[in-house]
Amino acid sequence: MNGWILAAAVVLGGGVGATVWGVATGPLRRRVVAQNLCTAFACPALLLLSQGYDRPSYVDLALVLALLGPVGTLVFARLLADELAADPPSAWGLTYAAAAVGAVVVPALCVATGPSRAMAKLLVVGALLIGGNLLASRALSGAFPEVRRG
Amino acid sequence: MADAVIVVALLLVALSATAAVAVRDPARQALVLSVLGLVLAVLFTVLQAPDVALSQLAVGSALTPLLLLLAVHKVRRRGKKEGHHR
Amino acid sequence: MNARTTLLASAELLGWWAALAVLWLVFISTVDTLELAVGAGVACLGALAARAARRAVTGR
Repeated sequence: MNGWILAAAVVLGGGVGATVWGVATGPLRRRVVAQNLCTAFACPALLLLSQGYDRPSYVDLALVLALLGPVGTLVFARLLADELAADPPSAWGLTYAAAAVGAVVVPALCVATGPSRAMAKLLVVGALLIGGNLLASRALSGAFPEVRRG
Repeated sequence: MADAVIVVALLLVALSATAAVAVRDPARQALVLSVLGLVLAVLFTVLQAPDVALSQLAVGSALTPLLLLLAVHKVRRRGKKEGHHR
Repeated sequence: MNARTTLLASAELLGWWAALAVLWLVFISTVDTLELAVGAGVACLGALAARAARRAVTGR
């Protein structure tokens, strides 16, 4: 048990736990934001687990999640567009907080990995994670009329 | 002591699976199922099964909610059409 | 389809190929000949797909 696994447990328990509660209760507005944010919390947790278990191949999991998580949120933004248009979600504080978690975890892991192709891979995953998170949040708050019209 | 993260992952799976059963409306259930798929993938990773976790991510994060929501869409549209004819 | 459009098209394809090949090099764990060959081939397909997607999105 080292510090990385402990940090992953904290991020999972706190972050993903909060999103599980948020997606199960409350208005639709809160649920879609929670579904969006669970990707933003689980991806740094997977990166931390990859470092903690000393298995660089686990970074591929975080990479696939960083790509597919926002796609899932865009699916919900398109197919629930009518119900969301009446009550658009805007949780920019939470979104930026989740982006901040990623922005803290990725440099810490880069320092631990040392300059190499593995560090470049971590940076690419971090960029995809933050970019995908912001893109999906904007789509949820109705900023893309093509998503609404379809 | 790596068991702590396994316990956390198992608890998350139990909570989200219970929530998936408790939520009744299909659209909201699709949201919970998406989170459940992700939490399952994390559990598989923690139990040192990354290939299974990769497959779970590929299927559970985007495909399952998409299929569910498309089915709900079709059923609602057909119900609305029949309602108008009546 | 004149010389200029061919030149622009091939320059764009080359750009996409280079970017995707660099991304491939970042993602793989060990660099040997087979990986390089697979990466070059897949980057070619990816470059074709990316150019088609860009043209579809920008409505050209």
